[in-house]
Amino acid sequence: MSDARMLDVEIAEDRHEDTIALNMGPQHPSTHGVLRLILELDGEEVCKCEPIIGYLHRGKEKVGEHHTLHQNIPYTDRMDYLAPLANNVAYAIACEKLVGIEAPPRAQAIRVICAELGRISSHLLGLGAYAMDLGAMTVFLWTFREREAIYSMMERISGARFTTSYTRIGGCARDFPEDLFPKLEKFVREFPHRVDEYEGLLTRNKIWVKRTQGVGVITVEQALQYGLTGPNLRACGVEYDLRKLHPYSGYDLYDFEVPVGTTGDCYDRYMVRVEEMRQSTRIIEQVLDSMPSGPYLNRAGDDELKSVQPEKKKVLTNMESLIHQFMVFTDSVDLPHGEVYFGHENPKGELGFFLRSEGGSKAQRMRIRGPSFASLQVLQEVVPGHMISDIMAILGSIDFVMGECDR
Amino acid sequence: MSKTFPTTGSHSDLAAAQALHAAFPDATKAPAEFAGDLTLEVTDIGRETEVLQHARDALGYSLLIDRFGDDMGEDAQPRWVVRTVLYDLTNHKRLHFRVFSSALDPVFHTAMGVFRGANWYEREVYDMYGFAFEGHPDLRRILLHEDFPDFPLRKEYPMEGRGEHAAPARALGGNVDGTDGRVAVPESVRSGSDTERESLSPDEAWKRSAEMKAAKGKPSGDAPQEPTS
Repeated sequence: MSDARMLDVEIAEDRHEDTIALNMGPQHPSTHGVLRLILELDGEEVCKCEPIIGYLHRGKEKVGEHHTLHQNIPYTDRMDYLAPLANNVAYAIACEKLVGIEAPPRAQAIRVICAELGRISSHLLGLGAYAMDLGAMTVFLWTFREREAIYSMMERISGARFTTSYTRIGGCARDFPEDLFPKLEKFVREFPHRVDEYEGLLTRNKIWVKRTQGVGVITVEQALQYGLTGPNLRACGVEYDLRKLHPYSGYDLYDFEVPVGTTGDCYDRYMVRVEEMRQSTRIIEQVLDSMPSGPYLNRAGDDELKSVQPEKKKVLTNMESLIHQFMVFTDSVDLPHGEVYFGHENPKGELGFFLRSEGGSKAQRMRIRGPSFASLQVLQEVVPGHMISDIMAILGSIDFVMGECDR
Repeated sequence: MSKTFPTTGSHSDLAAAQALHAAFPDATKAPAEFAGDLTLEVTDIGRETEVLQHARDALGYSLLIDRFGDDMGEDAQPRWVVRTVLYDLTNHKRLHFRVFSSALDPVFHTAMGVFRGANWYEREVYDMYGFAFEGHPDLRRILLHEDFPDFPLRKEYPMEGRGEHAAPARALGGNVDGTDGRVAVPESVRSGSDTERESLSPDEAWKRSAEMKAAKGKPSGDAPQEPTS
């Protein structure tokens, strides 16, 4: 024992002198997309970690300045492609804030279902991939079973599994299908048991606990300095959930808890996400019980609502409505002068949209504040000092998606 | 306008914004409000970090939400903006800051001393707009590749290109700013504005792009390769 300690000290003395550089990624399986980490290694220990991003940059902010507000909706699908519905909702609310309208109650309730389904599916993938990177293959297969069910439902709601483009400014693209209610109810009833199953595999699993507890600790100070949001910030013990703090889409009508961690390590981030899935199920349950009737889209009737599309029936029979429909989708509406910011509690954190308009049909600036961008920046402080094998745990627990980081 | 805007998701703290304005009366303007979002304009570019520091330490705006650039338009004066969004976790309020610059080559001050996370945000602003941040230790491109010749979120940068950006600026005859290694926007890009492109018919556009390609290919094709040694 003492020999080993002596040896340790000797190594410690000349550490950092003989380090090697290692490129992890951009095609490493645990980087979920194309993230590259330049690591400086002293043996198996990481001395320095520099994340390189940008491989998935598609210039969405530039595109956003050249499209009308409606034309941008499909682009939001491709940001956090693990929860496209949540992105759609975030963008639509930001646009509505700029245009100065609000979605009708039914549309808001549908959006809550969408956002929460998106949250569950995103956490399921995050959890499955996280566990698989640490060697627990079964979790991945089990979470994908439920994800498949969610994606079938998304397809029924929006017509597409991933590229949903479901929201419109002033509501949703189509009504929530009636035949989906029993299916969704069944899913919501069964899903908590599925979460128990995942927990049965992991929560007290010795290997899992050893590999995640005390690993990748992010302090509150670091989290605030780097602007972490969502589950990553809540795992540090900061209760920052926009659904609770600044309720939108009628989140104040539903009863749910905001799980927070204590230490901010990989295990806490796992626990926070697991609990969030349960809370999301609770929210969907309540929405289903209280689904308001009425229109799913603000229809253009009076002059005030010229910014939204007219009723389809009128478009087919009424000349003015046809012109109006055409104008809304080609030239859009005359936007008010102003700048708005809307932060949406996305599965990965705060997805913010900043829109600045100077009139006309297009925003002069569309800023997308992606949570993964902030989450990845903190790696350069968190990873050093860990073993190489811990990086998989840290990356998995941070649960980022490059499509939204690089935009 | 008498219309009321929904204030979805915005809870601004007028008292804090006014306190900031009172603390820096000659470096800030009175806070402006739209749809519930409060924006404090910092007029003294050199004291922006001081204002942010005060907001963090004295008023509790401890969470850095965002920091990004903006271009008010080619004819606007001042033209360049850096915006910052901070969040107060105790009172649950959000506050927006903006600081303008009308310089041709704007130099802002890094906020890394207040929020270490400003690092990547400022690198992104540099990447997209080419603003310099004084005091930033590692200001280089982050989302685009190192040889990218332009700053694409500037308004003069066209939305669509037809291959003219495939080569670095040097090959296009753009001038390289020798002082700090940053690349100025080449004239060929400046002239190719969107409106001009949109007015071309597809045939004309195709012809023009062929001409541009030919013009680009010529000098490099005719010029003999210099021996390397």
